[in-house]
Amino acid sequence: MLETEELTKVFKSKAAVDGVSLYLDKGESVGLLGPNGAGKSTTISMISTLSKPTTGDVRLDGRSVVKDPGKMRKVLGVVPQEIALYEDLSAYENLQFFGRIYGLSGSRLEQAIQQALELVGLKERQKEIVKTYSGGMQRRINIAAAMMHEPELIIMDEPTVGIDPQSRSHILEMVRQLNKEKGLTVLYTSHYMEEVERLCDRVYIMDHGTIIASGTKDELKSILSGEETIWIELDRPYPELFAELAAHPEIVQAAETEKGIKLIIPKGKRILGSIFQSAERHQAQILNVNVQTPTLEDVFLHLTGRKLRD
Amino acid sequence: MTSVFLLQWQRFRRAPLMVLSFLALTIVFVMVMAGSNPGNSMTVPTYAHPALAEQQQDEWLEQLNKSEGLQFELVEEQEARQAVLDGDTGMALQLMEDDYRLLIVADDPNRFEVESYINRTYAEELRIRQLEQQSTSGEARERVAEMLEEPALTVETQSLEGEQESFVYDGQLQMLFGMALFFSIYTIMFSLMKIVEEKKFGTWNRLILSPLDKWQVYMGHLLYSFTIGYVQIVLVLVLFKYLFNFDVGDQFGLLLLITAVYTFSIVALSMLVMGLVQSPQQLQAVVPIVATGMAMIGGAFWPIELVTNNMLLAISKVLPITYGLDALKSVAIHGRGLTELMEPIAVMLLIGVVCMGIGINLMERKR
Repeated sequence: MLETEELTKVFKSKAAVDGVSLYLDKGESVGLLGPNGAGKSTTISMISTLSKPTTGDVRLDGRSVVKDPGKMRKVLGVVPQEIALYEDLSAYENLQFFGRIYGLSGSRLEQAIQQALELVGLKERQKEIVKTYSGGMQRRINIAAAMMHEPELIIMDEPTVGIDPQSRSHILEMVRQLNKEKGLTVLYTSHYMEEVERLCDRVYIMDHGTIIASGTKDELKSILSGEETIWIELDRPYPELFAELAAHPEIVQAAETEKGIKLIIPKGKRILGSIFQSAERHQAQILNVNVQTPTLEDVFLHLTGRKLRD
Repeated sequence: MTSVFLLQWQRFRRAPLMVLSFLALTIVFVMVMAGSNPGNSMTVPTYAHPALAEQQQDEWLEQLNKSEGLQFELVEEQEARQAVLDGDTGMALQLMEDDYRLLIVADDPNRFEVESYINRTYAEELRIRQLEQQSTSGEARERVAEMLEEPALTVETQSLEGEQESFVYDGQLQMLFGMALFFSIYTIMFSLMKIVEEKKFGTWNRLILSPLDKWQVYMGHLLYSFTIGYVQIVLVLVLFKYLFNFDVGDQFGLLLLITAVYTFSIVALSMLVMGLVQSPQQLQAVVPIVATGMAMIGGAFWPIELVTNNMLLAISKVLPITYGLDALKSVAIHGRGLTELMEPIAVMLLIGVVCMGIGINLMERKR
């Protein structure tokens, strides 16, 4: 349905996106995973026709949307990262306006508004002013506004940033429904690995403006099939301990997390003993140790040497 | 375009305070400042000398009150003296049988104009009385009046600088037009700020991704700002013409046309300002500077004719408010017609077209 061909965007001689090629089949849910500043938003702004690529092309059903953005705009819904709503109007008035600009009117418009409100679970509070909503409710209306014209393809740019777990779960379930039950093609960008793991069939991992890995979740995780992850929870950060573990010859990769240290080691290596010895030497208090199978986050760590939320 | 235009009204209904406050400010400023700065009519408290008979006193008042710009109002001597002492009036007049006294405490800029008028009136009246005494027919006054209708000699005053009309200052109209045009700049610029806000908060991208053409989105916003600015000025003009009886001449339609052209040029200038600033916060700081600066240099607060600095005069030539005020005053005070106003109208349109072109270009480059 959609493919990009060596997309590149250069700002002031610096490439924000450098030769990105990806594709989406009809009805597929594809994740674009990467840390902040990886170039995800720039990539989707080119795909959605908001900005023109410096080089490369975006094709919808084989036709260039760079040359003819109109075709893309008809079938595309975009959920931006920011709350792109008129905060001084009610949810109903916002949806009414966004419906009107797509040429809806009368009973068709009313029906579309009620469907969108039902989808995001805010039918009861449709007459309230948007700025009085919680962050999560505003994000839901943000999604509803993109659904007014029943798009075939929806691009969601970090739609769950800064909201409570309950609203986040509601939004993820909604996206899953749209994809699985209504057959909507979804391009979902996030730096939350667990969201992409839950929603997407295939994943592209981006860093520094390029795609560094792609495939199904299992294919990506198989990159680390020979490794396992040890997560050590500590009472506070211990930089010397981290430095010592990072230099350990048996440890493939080490990263400091909020509450401790994450290590990637070859499967079957018995190094827990030496980890405890190092902790003892640095008088570090270990609260918890967990040996896990690798996640997409670990894959990212393995590929870039950095965490997704760095 | 219609949906974007209607959306702005929908948002205006939710928060009308800003626009209404500028309308109210215009009305208050005009009422207060024009009230203390009346147009051609200046009142001079007048009292009679104790020896002057009541009939003579009435005759002198009738003669003096033939002037359109001066009004001599009979009061008690004590009241007139107190008014001058308190500074409520610049001068008071004492009427005598064949003479007068002007009571002045501080220097008053109008003193020479008033004194010269009283002097002329007294001199002419006394000359006619003298003629009546010498005449036997008893019709001397009527004959003089008759002959003055078709005088043998007429004196025409012309400016050395050519065909320019002499400067006529009308405080009421200066304040009315000045404040109406000044406050409309705020309304227009702040209403257009919604474009900058839309770009900042992301709704602009939603509009661009919709089937609407970009020009339709711009037009929706521009038309709204034009309408709201235009309605504000027109409401003020209508209010002061019909409710407060300001004399704005008898070509109200022409005033509306000039207002429309001026509003267009301010909308365009606002687009240029929007194109130059980076954020709504910057714009909030810039708007008062632009509006007040333009009003000061363009002659909204005081007549441009009082400005002598060549640099300020040169700057005023590129400001639409200079031409707007000039055109409005030309119609209201001098009664000029459309043909004579082609120059200020054409300049305002030119400024509008240039600013709009550059402004939209700058806004698009920022994206």
